[in-house]
Amino acid sequence: MTDDPGERLFGWQHAFDHRATIWMVTGVVGALAGAALLIQVLAATGRLSAATRTELWRRLGSWCVMAPLFLGPVLLGAAWTIGAVTLLSLLCYREFARATGLFREREVSGLVVLGILAITFACIDHWYDLFMALTPLSVVMIAAIAVAADQPRGYIQRTALGVFAFMFFGTCLGHLGYFANDTGYRPVVLLILVTVELNDVFAYTCGRLFGRRKLAPATSPNKTWAGAIGAMILTTLLMLALGALVFEGTEINRIEHLVALGLIVSVGGQLGDLMLSAIKRDLGLKDFAATIPGHGGLLDRFDSLILVAPAVFHYIGYLKGIGLDDARRILTGG
Amino acid sequence: MDPWQLRPARDLGMSQGERLASTAREPGLIEGIGQRAWALAMRCYLRICHRLAVHGRERLPTQLPFVLIGNHTSHLDALVLSSLVPWRLRRWLFPIAAGDVFFETPARSALSALLLNALPMRRKQAGRHALDELRARLLQDACGFVLFPEGTRSATGELQPFKAGLGMLVAGTGVPVVPCHLEGAFTAWPRHARLPRPGRIVVRVGTPLVFAAEPNTRLGWERIADVTADAVRRLGAVPPA
Repeated sequence: MTDDPGERLFGWQHAFDHRATIWMVTGVVGALAGAALLIQVLAATGRLSAATRTELWRRLGSWCVMAPLFLGPVLLGAAWTIGAVTLLSLLCYREFARATGLFREREVSGLVVLGILAITFACIDHWYDLFMALTPLSVVMIAAIAVAADQPRGYIQRTALGVFAFMFFGTCLGHLGYFANDTGYRPVVLLILVTVELNDVFAYTCGRLFGRRKLAPATSPNKTWAGAIGAMILTTLLMLALGALVFEGTEINRIEHLVALGLIVSVGGQLGDLMLSAIKRDLGLKDFAATIPGHGGLLDRFDSLILVAPAVFHYIGYLKGIGLDDARRILTGG
Repeated sequence: MDPWQLRPARDLGMSQGERLASTAREPGLIEGIGQRAWALAMRCYLRICHRLAVHGRERLPTQLPFVLIGNHTSHLDALVLSSLVPWRLRRWLFPIAAGDVFFETPARSALSALLLNALPMRRKQAGRHALDELRARLLQDACGFVLFPEGTRSATGELQPFKAGLGMLVAGTGVPVVPCHLEGAFTAWPRHARLPRPGRIVVRVGTPLVFAAEPNTRLGWERIADVTADAVRRLGAVPPA
């Protein structure tokens, strides 16, 4: 472990210091290449309809753009990781605000954005107290500024939407950025990203193969119990395999903790997915936006991360701490 | 208990390019910042370079919706009329701009949307459909429009006949139309000049007109065109203050 913050923030030379990082990056690249090959083979043997093939290529194409956008910042350094998480938070918030109409409330909306930027500052600074204080403080500020407009009509809705948005896109996603305050953050963040995304793939595949009974037909008609349980089993197995590499030599590398982490990722991911489906249903929308071809909006793709990030953060934080050996308050001092 | 009113953005699901050149565009935080900066710069520019004088500002309605109209001799006109409106209403004030000029390329669309908050009016297809979209927006969103019923800048500085489009927006509604007359904009930046030059501009704001009783038919539109053109002309006939 080093405690030079410059190295941690910008030290791209350390990208592959941990062998779990090498394994996971290779795995992602391999999986994308394998998927391309599989589509090619299935298409060549005539087992895919033209429409399915186009759709699969479109989705894979989007993944080939998204994977480097996520792997890149994590490998480059903590500053890039925190920046990428901020950008993701802001873009997700934008989709949410435009879908709910919260963007019309300029004061509340502006405060949510300021709150997200303040979370970024707390992450970069490695100031845990501020990071934690920002949630209640932002809620107070949003409630206060919403009353300043002297328009009691819609006050509850305005405040509630602002608080809800800040909690999910500021606080929850912000935890993903805060992970970068630990010198050994790379494999942990990659582990979360890889397991959360594969959890979605597992649920989809198991649902397609074995799915009969619907999980929550009113919220999301395509989700099945088989998909949910299959994903829980497969994600937990994946966590046991990858987690053993990532957490080698720490107290988390015990079977009960890895199983717990696997379940947190799988259940949290699927609940996050359902949560955003419920929001879309409530609004009467199919997708949040048309940002990613084949996936919909950013929120349609990264909904599963929202609940997982804080849950995993505090589980790991409780057991072994995050960034305990690293310099704190590197900008503000103290 | 009433259900919560969640109204998604009108432009939801559009690509960024489509959105910028759409009449359904709703400005967000970034546009808000751009427009505020632009409005501030324009206020300084108009005050310093054109010594802008406003007569009858108190006649402007304090609530949206309303439509500001004026004689059109210069690109400065829309900037001047927009600058009359207080900031708290500016966000929902849309200058209606020629689609074939201000929204011709993606870059121009971006600037028109980001700085001017302009909505496109495609002059070549200025039929009922395009105007109906704008009329619906005016009524449903209670917004403000700045538009020039002559349809294009006058080549001589003289008032040209008003077109029926204004009537299609406001006939049979309670939306007030505020006639304004601009003087000096033609000398400062006429149609044939590439750039504006300093020169005094005087705006006279008239009494708002409401056309709730006019039928939404050609007859009604023509009457509205006559009445509003007359109002603008009379404002211009007032001896200079």
